[in-house]
Amino acid sequence: MLDIVKLSHRYITWFLHHKKVVPLVFLAPFLIVFLVFKVYPVILAIIMSFQNFQGIKSQDWVGFTNYENVFELVRFSQALTNTTVYTIGTLLVLIPLPLVLAVLLDSGRVIASTVFRVLIFLPALTSLVVAGTVFRLILAKDGFLNLFLEGALGMDRLRWLEVSELALPSLILIATWRWTGMNILYFNSGLVNIPSELYESAAIDGASPWQMFLRITLPMLRPTTFFVVVLSIIGGYQVFVEPFILYAGGAGPGDGGLTLALLIYRTAFTSFNFGTAAAMGVILALIIFIFSLIQFRFFGVLGGED
Amino acid sequence: MTATQFINPGKLGARRQSRLTKWLMFALFVCLAIVFIFPLYWMVVSSLRPEGRIFVDAMEIIPSALSLDTYRRLFEEEPYGIWFVNSITQTGGYAFMGVFLCTTGGYALAKFRFRYRNLLFILILVSQMIPFHLLIVSLFLMIIQMGMAETYQGAIVPLAASPIGIFFMRQYMLAIDDEMLNAARVDGASEYQIFWHVVLPNARPAIATLLILFCIEYWNNLLWPLIVFRKPENFPLAVGIKRLIDQYRQQYDLTMAGSTLATIPVIILFFFLRRQIMEGLATTGTGIK
Repeated sequence: MLDIVKLSHRYITWFLHHKKVVPLVFLAPFLIVFLVFKVYPVILAIIMSFQNFQGIKSQDWVGFTNYENVFELVRFSQALTNTTVYTIGTLLVLIPLPLVLAVLLDSGRVIASTVFRVLIFLPALTSLVVAGTVFRLILAKDGFLNLFLEGALGMDRLRWLEVSELALPSLILIATWRWTGMNILYFNSGLVNIPSELYESAAIDGASPWQMFLRITLPMLRPTTFFVVVLSIIGGYQVFVEPFILYAGGAGPGDGGLTLALLIYRTAFTSFNFGTAAAMGVILALIIFIFSLIQFRFFGVLGGED
Repeated sequence: MTATQFINPGKLGARRQSRLTKWLMFALFVCLAIVFIFPLYWMVVSSLRPEGRIFVDAMEIIPSALSLDTYRRLFEEEPYGIWFVNSITQTGGYAFMGVFLCTTGGYALAKFRFRYRNLLFILILVSQMIPFHLLIVSLFLMIIQMGMAETYQGAIVPLAASPIGIFFMRQYMLAIDDEMLNAARVDGASEYQIFWHVVLPNARPAIATLLILFCIEYWNNLLWPLIVFRKPENFPLAVGIKRLIDQYRQQYDLTMAGSTLATIPVIILFFFLRRQIMEGLATTGTGIK
């Protein structure tokens, strides 16, 4: 008996130390979780998008019916439009603003630039849930923003959370607060890589700071900028928590804050329409996939680190 | 013009700058910093106002009356303490499991040759593009069928195989000197001894960074725990705060107190490990939010 135990122990030891087995042992934990909880759910979601669900048990194959339903849905086209406008809006703010701030902070002309970098970065550490709750308070009818607009600028109060047209600007405002510091960080790592000789020789040639910004900084930052643009597009299309919290689980007035991800969540867990939710998920994935391919095409793996 | 100025002319190039621009620039950034910090300040101040005074006293930017009463209510009337503990245990579990998977997996991808390695690596990278919202329905069905709903495993395991995490570890492991590993092999160390005694100590900075980033990620995460947990006694903080909003609609005091307490640990962590967090986030992209 003891011999069998000893023998099998010896065999297992030999097996585990075999040259071909070792890498598999190291890889196995990640690989198993990855295949079961990442790869398989993707396949399952695609299958589900062709099925109709009665509860979670019984399901029938329905071909492309879910996709047809999705495209006929008024709320879907509104969600798609909202999400696209939101993404473009965030790009219009969250590229130029952090870019300029990063250049200024890097210029050596700002006293205590590290302190400012850190302070502007702090919002990026907060949970998106917290960002949502705080702005729910600030944007409320009697909230600080309205008091400020009224008291300091003499403007009328705006019903930020109750007017459909103000939903996307509110969300873009939150995004600006939350991501400016993060994008400054990206642009900063791009700026660090610009050789200072370029500026030195330009200075000798008598170039003005503005000329240097246009002729050296901007062109040299092009890869970073492109990287941040693609990341922002991918992130923008997935926006979920901010409207979800801002409108307390709803979609804002007149669905003004309805985003694709929010619609998917509500289709799945409010209407319990899993097939349609899966079809919407596939469409969202395709949109993101296209933008990611562009990133791959231009940067190789994850921003050209590899 | 001094010599130091010539060596480091400043990226904008102007070597002679008037004091005025310097002060204007400083003033600009002070204003910006105030704007960015203000919402956090407002959160804290609002949470400390006496009951029912959040809007009444909103003109008082520096409050005249403070009260900790909201915090008392948060712990007495809501299971906030339980949520906080849940957040700590779930975050810890997630971070350790994620780091374990990414460290061992990253080592395998970086230092061993095996069949389909490149294919697997590409698959992992492509999976990074998958929006989580594609998976919420299928993962939801899976954890129900596996009996993992309402469990910590159900909340943690499906998120633990982080593509960006394994990529990060692989990149770091690539830089570990092969000579060192081979020397250990020549000395008769087994592969597992090498991993434990040579690789892990050398990868310590990367492990620490990833651990911190995973902690922040789970601590701040809402979507998946929201789906896994229906019972309030299992909620982590993010889901708990969501519940406070649903319950108190137009009353903001409890949500502000809850949000403040949920933010403080991350801020404290940040001030101790600022460099690691900022550099880590800059290299991992927004894969970790």
